Amino acid sequence: MRETARRIALDEWDRRYAVLRAGGLCEPAYGGPLRRHVADGNSRLLKLCMDNSAAALRLWNFLLSEEERLRQARQHGKQLVGTMKDLGTVPVMAYSLNDTVAFYADGAWWLPCLMENRTGMLELADQLGIDDSFCPVRAMLGAFVSKAHFPLPDLVTCSVGATCDDLAVISQRLASLGFDIFWWEMPHRRPPDPGEPAVILPGGFAAPQSQVDLVRTELERVRQALESLTGQTLSDARLAEGIGRANRVRLVLADLRDLAYKARRCPLPALEMLIAEMLAIHFCSDQAEAVLVLEELRAEVQTRVQAGEGPLEESAVRVFWVNPVADLRVMNLLEDAGGRICGTEYLFCHALDPIPEDLPPMEALARIALADPMVGSPIDRAARIAADVQRFGAEAVVISRIPGASHCALEGRLIGEIVGRQCHIAVLEVEVPPISDALEPALRTRLEALVETVRIGRETSRRGYPPSAFRKTDVGSRPILEGGLPP
Amino acid sequence: MICAGIDAGSRTLKIVLVNANHAGLVASGVVDQGIDQDRLALNLLERLLHEQGLQRGDVRTVVATGYGRKLVRAADTTVTEITCQARGVRHCVPDARTIVDIGGQDSKLVRLKEDGAVADFVMNDRCAAGTGRFLEMLAAQLGTPFFELESLVGRSRVPAVISSMCVVFAESEIIGLLAAGVLPEDIVTGVQTAVATRIAAMTGRKLAEPILFTGGVALVPGMGDALAAVLERPVRIAPQPQLTCALGAALLAAERFA
Repeated sequence: MRETARRIALDEWDRRYAVLRAGGLCEPAYGGPLRRHVADGNSRLLKLCMDNSAAALRLWNFLLSEEERLRQARQHGKQLVGTMKDLGTVPVMAYSLNDTVAFYADGAWWLPCLMENRTGMLELADQLGIDDSFCPVRAMLGAFVSKAHFPLPDLVTCSVGATCDDLAVISQRLASLGFDIFWWEMPHRRPPDPGEPAVILPGGFAAPQSQVDLVRTELERVRQALESLTGQTLSDARLAEGIGRANRVRLVLADLRDLAYKARRCPLPALEMLIAEMLAIHFCSDQAEAVLVLEELRAEVQTRVQAGEGPLEESAVRVFWVNPVADLRVMNLLEDAGGRICGTEYLFCHALDPIPEDLPPMEALARIALADPMVGSPIDRAARIAADVQRFGAEAVVISRIPGASHCALEGRLIGEIVGRQCHIAVLEVEVPPISDALEPALRTRLEALVETVRIGRETSRRGYPPSAFRKTDVGSRPILEGGLPP
Repeated sequence: MICAGIDAGSRTLKIVLVNANHAGLVASGVVDQGIDQDRLALNLLERLLHEQGLQRGDVRTVVATGYGRKLVRAADTTVTEITCQARGVRHCVPDARTIVDIGGQDSKLVRLKEDGAVADFVMNDRCAAGTGRFLEMLAAQLGTPFFELESLVGRSRVPAVISSMCVVFAESEIIGLLAAGVLPEDIVTGVQTAVATRIAAMTGRKLAEPILFTGGVALVPGMGDALAAVLERPVRIAPQPQLTCALGAALLAAERFA
């Protein structure tokens, strides 16, 4: 059933699926041909190239069946917790309880892309006064109002403060429409003052203990809210077990990232790696299954790495990618241009770090929450990106802006300057709207130019001197333009 | 051996032919862009060859670059305008460290290493305010052919201030200024400053010198001065600034792909 690793379009996936089934592929309940998701409205799939492995099929099906899973959970009487602007903390608490499912309501920001703007969610947000000067996460507002994409949660939590201005505004609009939101506060992470009691957070940044205490107090309120909702006690022991389960996801993912990003030849395309990383935040509404999906993906990647096999040329330029793309198609575009992903910082790298298991659970969760790259200075983000660029051996950095997103508006330039200076590599900043088709030639040019720039640099390093095109010696011939050109 | 560089830009299509044996210029030409750019490129190429007594078979390699590079079927390969521009500039002004390129519908800033290779780059093609399109709109509002704007440049005594950073809004502003009796030369100077300001906003980082100005807009008198004033650094205009990218493509064809 294994085939040489390739990226294939949906038409070819139809044939591949038939072959896999004929070969005895066993699928989970949410399995099936990818084509059915197009019938559900996810027409963007028709324009994507996907990995051809059975593991990738399972990953896509897991991602695209989340709405169905949430509806089933509701039917089975489970409590649904919508966690907004929470990149990986409250879900860990929720999944420590029985019959409780947390999901990432802001994840609706990808629906306009997947459904190619045919959801009506952005139009609904427009009508509610949240126009396109805001981040596409405003689609979440439309999803709540239309009730078309996920069942309304029994509890909605939302962090505010240093997290995201856009989401704070959008969530307040949601609250003004009568949706009850449990707010919890996240302070802007600052470096400790001299002599101030401090802790080192997962990921390596220092923060004052007083800020950790504040976040812990806020999370205690969330704990009480979850206990009231479910009628269960969320004891420290239970929470510690929940942290252990969340760490299983994070550890498999860490392995996967190490294997994929350090491999000489890229073993798994950028798109599948992006989706895999997103599972760390919210487990796609099924924590146990998320582990199995990632383990299968890791096994596939291990096999490919050992065989030196991959869907891209070995010479593909190693690119570190900053911020998630609003249009998934752009990850394909990078690979079409001759690049490969080799390290990422999708604004939730703290959700990839193991949660400390040697601390009281609430202290551990408070520390991991405060390690969120979004709540600190962009200089912190840049420092971590620079370290990861070096760890994964990236040759260039792409920073993708999300139109309207306040945290992307100005951070990119600062991060670009710091990372470029520290790592001595080219940094490119691009803006990617939810549907980038009209901009594709421009995006392609930028990505191709970045790849060319790196390849010329490689040639220079390999030879010890620049390729002829950029050597001073070749300037000796008759200057072409100095003497003027014929009319 | 002849090699050709075709720069299929958004407003014009440029071709440079070089003799690969000694990197000398053979011919160059520029035509306005159109719908069938493949045909335009072929016609211009054939005309240039004919003028030199050459035939298609004499051309060893063709590199296409520019916005429409993928549509030029005569090309053996394509290279982006960033790399080509760097190569062309390297040939003309070897010590240049920064390129500011303003074309009809986009603008770019390319930082160069000491060896002339690209260090990194920034591009703007989503906002007309930093491109030649702004000046075209101005020419249309003033009822003056684009390349006759030069007759107005240098006469301004009180340059107008264009507040809008959006061409659509700026157009309304210009109509208002004309209605208020502001002199066309003052508006032209104001718009040139606005274009330069947009470029400066895009660059945002300290620019290494020498700074070389390329692209069709560099041909507009006064634009180099406006750019230098806003960047607060000397700006040199490339010799034949419209052709450096096509030249770079031709040289790359000769050196890397022949």
